[in-house]
Parts: sequence; structure tokens; C-alpha cells
Amino acid sequence: MADDNMASHRRDPIKSSVGNVAGQRRRQNAITVGKERRESLVRAKRLCRVGTNGDSVDPLDSEMMIDEEQSILEAQTSTAVDELNSAVAHQGKGAWQKRVSALRELRRLLSRSEFPPVDAALKAGAIPLLVQCLSFGSPDEQLLEAAWCLTNIAAGKPEETKALLPALPLLIAHLGEKSSSPVAEQCAWAIGNVAGEGEELRNILLSQGSLPPLARMMLPDKGSTVKTAAWALSNLIKGPNPKAANELIRVEGVLDAIIRHLRKADDELATEVAWVVVYLSALSNIATSMLVKSDVLQLLVERLATSNSLQLLIPVLRGLGNLIAGDSQTTHAVIVPGNEITGNIIDVLVKCLKSEHRVLKKEAAWVLSNIAAGSIEHKQLIYSSEAVPLLIRLLSTAPFDIRKEVAYVLGNLCVSPIAPTEGDGKPTLILEHLVSLVGRGCLPGFIDLVSSADTEAARLGLQFMELVLRGMPNGEGPKLVEKENGIEAMERFQFHENEDLRNMANSLVDKYFGEDYGLDD
Amino acid sequence: MAMDLEAPQLGLGLGFPYWKPLRRRFTPESPFFASGNIERELLVKQLALDLTEDEKRQIRNFVDEEGRGVFCPIVGCGARLTCLEDFEDHYNARHTASCSVCSRVYPTSRLLSIHVSEAHSSFFQAKVARGDPMYECLVEGCGLKLKTYKSRQQHLVDKHKFPTSFEFFKKAPPSKKQRQKNQRKQSFVKKSDASDMEVENEAIEDLDASRKQKKKNQRKQANLKKADASSMEVENETMNSLVSAVSKLITSDSSPSSISFGRRPTRGLTFVPRTVQREKKPDST
Repeated sequence: MADDNMASHRRDPIKSSVGNVAGQRRRQNAITVGKERRESLVRAKRLCRVGTNGDSVDPLDSEMMIDEEQSILEAQTSTAVDELNSAVAHQGKGAWQKRVSALRELRRLLSRSEFPPVDAALKAGAIPLLVQCLSFGSPDEQLLEAAWCLTNIAAGKPEETKALLPALPLLIAHLGEKSSSPVAEQCAWAIGNVAGEGEELRNILLSQGSLPPLARMMLPDKGSTVKTAAWALSNLIKGPNPKAANELIRVEGVLDAIIRHLRKADDELATEVAWVVVYLSALSNIATSMLVKSDVLQLLVERLATSNSLQLLIPVLRGLGNLIAGDSQTTHAVIVPGNEITGNIIDVLVKCLKSEHRVLKKEAAWVLSNIAAGSIEHKQLIYSSEAVPLLIRLLSTAPFDIRKEVAYVLGNLCVSPIAPTEGDGKPTLILEHLVSLVGRGCLPGFIDLVSSADTEAARLGLQFMELVLRGMPNGEGPKLVEKENGIEAMERFQFHENEDLRNMANSLVDKYFGEDYGLDD
Repeated sequence: MAMDLEAPQLGLGLGFPYWKPLRRRFTPESPFFASGNIERELLVKQLALDLTEDEKRQIRNFVDEEGRGVFCPIVGCGARLTCLEDFEDHYNARHTASCSVCSRVYPTSRLLSIHVSEAHSSFFQAKVARGDPMYECLVEGCGLKLKTYKSRQQHLVDKHKFPTSFEFFKKAPPSKKQRQKNQRKQSFVKKSDASDMEVENEAIEDLDASRKQKKKNQRKQANLKKADASSMEVENETMNSLVSAVSKLITSDSSPSSISFGRRPTRGLTFVPRTVQREKKPDST
């Protein structure tokens, strides 16, 4: 067991050493996931448990995770900080070895448990000492250990992360090309955690010039440094201000590197780069335009087609979705019905619909709904694909959030983009699609949505019912709706607090189920 | 969003937002992306922290519900539901108080009881005829009573900002079956032996049909002016068909068939239908 981690890739999380004993104890004590644990799990920050220095010289690194009582850990941490204090003060021979040793001790205490004793470290005054250890000209080992401590201090609660403010300029400085790779990577990691905290800290990091050096770290072909830098960048540019995203795409070599990584990188690196693409495409119109003009769409499609790693598929699918949603001009110049890429996109989206993963199904339906909002040819392409039978089945059986997206696709397939010629402005229907979809049993699913407590879903359902009531030939619409208990569903709105929905439902009932209803039979 | 409020339209009236196929774009922080973001972090950390499937599921569900916090949209309810799936159960449990006379459904027992008084109580009608203010305001806690349905309606609009289109008592059109029966009764030809049972069945069926129809087809009434009269209309309709059915039975019991409306001559009854017996009992002295 001791040698496992030495041999494994630097970036592999420690499978066996972390958590087993603690995990068992945790499960014995609590059936439910506690609030603190839940918050720590969904944060965009990451604890560093294995150093960036590949061949660790420290035999203690491979030890089992510390599973001490929290109070003991805290006491040890205070002690370690005191040791560091005296080591830093100490000048003269062997001083730096003392410092590294003290740093290492502190770092171990901060890396080995699920909830590192960060608060104790801060209270003991760790930050100013660590900042001192980051000073220019310090030996690499010292820089590395100090940055590692800071990384983990910043991996937890908001106020703990904010404590890193005094260290930021130095951390950024050590991202430079003159730094050794492991040091730069560890600093990038710390910065990534700070950026993951929130908009305010992101703005500070950006104004201190963190973006260009991080971007340059993403340019090499491979290595763990590239991956960490990509991850840190994804945290840094996530906005909501698009400024950072706009800045990133303009850095020379970045677009090229993104393309290269999407094409050739292993799953882990491709995943982080895909997240960068997600944020670029969601926030920056310039980036979207540049990405669409390049090979990126094709590369994303290929990854979707060939990969089965959920971690990779999520950002790749979302990036594709953002690009398609982002700009109709450019994307519809590329996703022209008849082009090979267009068919490929539909194919991979169908693959995602078939997936067992909820996120993939939901977001794939969203992307399809945007394509279905395009030209008549786009709608025909989707209509004649494998997607439709899948969608109809999902409309009845899937969880709510997926059903809502599916509803958007199916409804979009039935309405033409051509501007209405009639004066009343009612959208033109694509009758063939509407009749076929209703014939294949999609109406109950929409009526279900009408009855839901979600306003948007209820609206969708009512809007689709209007299409059916108006568009089905031979006046079949009202009968079909009645048969599926649509009238009851609409009647619920009489006492609904949303006036728009009330009016919508009332106007449909009035027009189609009025006094004259059924008299022609 | 894929919908838009349109300018005033012909046909469907003001502002029906027709389906518009539109591209939808979301910002990174949008709740739409939340579950994918969580999945990202869980996948990265699960190995290091030895997360079980159960724990992952809990975290996913927790965050989803946090984001949602569904509230019941029925006026005056405000109940907080843990998830959307619970809404249907909640609705069926709390908002389907139904009238045993005409099967109309109301979202609270208070509104149901107001309806029952106003639509099915002759006592209520008698007091109204006398000029007592009997029409209660529908808003709980207001306490005001008005003399007419119409003035109560106006009060709701003026004081409680109800929409002018709101209609507490909606007229239900007769069902298809009912309409056909109405047409058939006009030119009535039936077999003699079965005729009495048939009429009885028809009477019960009529009532059932109009009950069923009202359950299915509550409808907005176009003309407010008819409110007072029509609030009685449906009830009268039901009453009329029941009365006429029973009267046919009574007639056939004691008179020659030639007097009965549109029926073939009978050879006399060999039995008295149960409904007539029941009806007659209180009358017999």
C-alpha cells in the first residue's frame, strides 16, 4: 500500500489512503450527509492531497490518512505554526531546512483529513508566515510547501479562502515562466481555489494580472500543470462578468491550444479544457464566434461520439449547447441541414438522450430544442431522426426537468418559423409534425405539464394545447383534449394565483369548449 | 423564453401567448446548469472521499429541492411542497372539495359550502328573494355580504382586485348525451313494456349525465348580465328534467296512456317503480 501512490500518476486522487477509516466512522455516526460535508462537496474548490511534485521524496507522504480527533489535530496545527514561526525567524546555517521541515509538518496536517484544521492554522497566524515563505529567491521546496499549505487553507469556507488575500500577488508572481513547473502548478491550484470562491475574489485576481500567466500555462501539450491551469482558468473566467472570458480568448495561442487539447488530450485534460470552452461560449460572444469558425464544433461532436466518461461528456455537451445557443448567424452557417456535421450533431445528441445520466438527457434535449427552433429543414431533420420516438417516451417517463426540455423540442417541431401571413398573428403550424406527434401519444405528457405547479411548464402545456385545439384537422382537437382530461386540467386554473395562466386556460376553454361544443355531432 | 405576450388578438381575445420557437440561452450561473455543476464536483471528489451512491443521491436531491422550493399555486393556499412530484397528491388531498349535488369542484371547503348554499338551497333563494344580503365575499376574512351575485362580483373586482373575467358560478353546457336526449324527447317513441323502467332510467341517467357534464365542463360564462338568472338556470334544468321524468311516472301510474306525452299506449302497470314509491311516501298522509 505504501508504494501505491508513489508509482501512480501525480494527479490520481488517493484511493485507499483517504477516507476508509474516517468514512466508516462517519457512516456509523450519521445516516444523512451533514450540511458541512455537503457544502464542501459541491464547492468549486479542490483540496490538494498529493503534491504536484511527481516523485515525492517524502516517505511520509504515502501514509494512511490522519484520523485523529479534531481537537488533537487543532492542537498539533497550532504547534506546527509556532514551529514555523521560529523557523522563519531563524537565520543562518540550516535555516531553510528548518523552514521546509516546519512547512512540511503543517502541510501534512492540512492535507490528510476530510476537514483540515484550517481555522486553527489561521488563528495561530499562519498566513503572514506563509507569505514570507513565498518571497523571491526562496528554494523551490519551500515555495512548493508554502503554496501547498495556502491551497488547502483556501479549499474550505469562504472566510478561510478570503484570508489568502495578502498572498495573492506572490502566488501570481510565481506563475511566471521562470518558476519551476511544480511550483507554478501549486500556485495555480491555490489561485484556482481562490477564484472558485466568488465574483469578488475573481475580480481581485483579474485586476492583479493573474489571467495571462495562467493562460500561458495551458499552452504546452501535456502535463499535470496544463490540467491544473485549465481548471483554475475555468474558475477564473466563470463571470458573471464576461470580461475575463473575452480577455482569455484573445491571449495568443489559447484558441490553438484549446483545439489541440480537444483533439489529442487524455480524458482528464480534455475535461478541464472543455469546461473552459463552456464558460467561454456562455459568456463571450467573441469567443463563441471564434470557436464556431474553428474546428471546435467538430471536435466536441467527436468527443461526444467516442467517449463514455460522464465527467468529460457533461462539459463537452454543454459547450456544444452553448455554441449552438449563442449565435444563430454563425452556427446556422455551420449547422446547415445536409452538411455532415449537422447529421453528426443529431446523432450524438440522440446518444446522450439514450444515456442513463439525467444531466446528459436534460441538456441534450435543450440543445435539440434550440436546433428545432431553427429552419423548417432543421425541424424535418430532427423529426425524421431517431430522436422523436425517444423524446415521446421520455415525455411520459422521465423526471420532470427532462420532460420540460423534451416538451420544448416537440413543440418547436410543430411550429413554423415563417412569419404568419394572417392578420391575427397566430404562428403557422407544421401540420404533418403535429398530427404525427399527437398520433404517437404526446398529448397526455403535455397535459401533465399543464397540471404541474411549475409556471413555465404549465404555460408550455397550455401553449401546446392551443396548437392541438386549433391545428388538428377535422375539428379533432377538442375531442382529443377532452379524452385526455385536458378540460379538467384547464379548469384547475380558475383558482390559480397566476393571472396569465388563468386567462390562458379560460380563453381556451371559452373558445373551444363553449356552448357550441359538440353540437355539430 | 419561448413565449411572449402578444398584442391584442382576434379570436382568442387579448394576449394569448402563442407557442413561439425560440432559441434559449442560459448564463453559467443559471439554475438550469446547477445539476450538471454539482455532478462535476461530485465526480471529482467521490474517489478521494469514498462517497457512496446513497450520499451522492442525497446531495443531488438536496440541491435540486433547495433550488425549487415549490409553493402550491392555488389561491390562498401557499403550502410549501418539497418537490414538484408531491404537488399532484397535495392537490388531490386539499383542493378537490366536490359538490355532492352537481359535482363541481372547489379548492377549499369554504368555497364549496358557499357554492352549495347559493346553487342548491331553496332556503338561500328564499332569503335572497326577501332582500337579505346573502352573497358572501369569497375572500376569507372580509365578511361582507351582498344582495346579488352581480354585486358580489363587483365587490371582488373593486375591493379585492379580482379579474373582471373571474366567474364563481360557471354555467355548464349540457353534455352530448344530454343534448341528444333533449332532441329525442321532442319526438318520443318507445316500446311499451319497457317504457316505465326506461323513463325511470332515463330520469336517473339525465341527472347523472348533467352531473358528469358539470364535472367535466365548467366553463366561463360570456355574459355577466345573465348572472343572476343563469345561476339558477342549470339547477332549474336539472330540476326540470327530474320533475318531468317523475311526473311521467306518476302520470303513467294512474292515467290512460293517451294522455302521456308521446308514448305508445300502455296496458297498465304491473309494478310501481321504486322512485315513485319513495317520492310518494312523504306525500301520503
